[in-house]
Amino acid sequence: MSHIVTVETEIRDAAALNSACRRLGLSLPTHETAQVFSGEATGYCVRLPDWRYPVVCDTESGRIRFDNFEGRWGAQRELDRLMQAYACERAKLEARRNGHTVTEQPLADGSIKLTVHVGELHEDD
Amino acid sequence: MKTIEIIISPGSESRVETKGFAGSACRDASRFLELALGKATSESLTAEFHEAYTHDQNHLEQEK
Repeated sequence: MSHIVTVETEIRDAAALNSACRRLGLSLPTHETAQVFSGEATGYCVRLPDWRYPVVCDTESGRIRFDNFEGRWGAQRELDRLMQAYACERAKLEARRNGHTVTEQPLADGSIKLTVHVGELHEDD
Repeated sequence: MKTIEIIISPGSESRVETKGFAGSACRDASRFLELALGKATSESLTAEFHEAYTHDQNHLEQEK
């Protein structure tokens, strides 16, 4: 252990977003201009279970736009699961693209642990 | 064995930790993942990093 970095997720990769939606059993996102409570937003629209408005992901800026009225129009845990699944799929795609193997392990607190084995060329996951 | 561990919490935060790298090489090793995931909000260097860095500096001093 020698170096620890905390990273705030930004959704910038459509392929990883597709994988995250597939992983969660959601419809694949479509790039469109969608209605949200406060107007319109353009980007990849993800329909979360029981959410009134879509989550709109602008992959250019990495920003997401949503309105769940502090949980009244959609449970925060659904968005949290989407962000977690995206980060997981993005990290796995990037690690494999760089020739590393990745193993995935769910943790008791709901987190996901990925272990990237640097320099190994054979995928085991 | 050189590994990079990523703990991904529900929500928007991930923690990236390098293991088994010598000195400052750990920073370069995990940068591609940090950039892929989003924006780094904090970084901490562990005792192992400082020990390796000090060792490297001492080694360079002796070679002069």
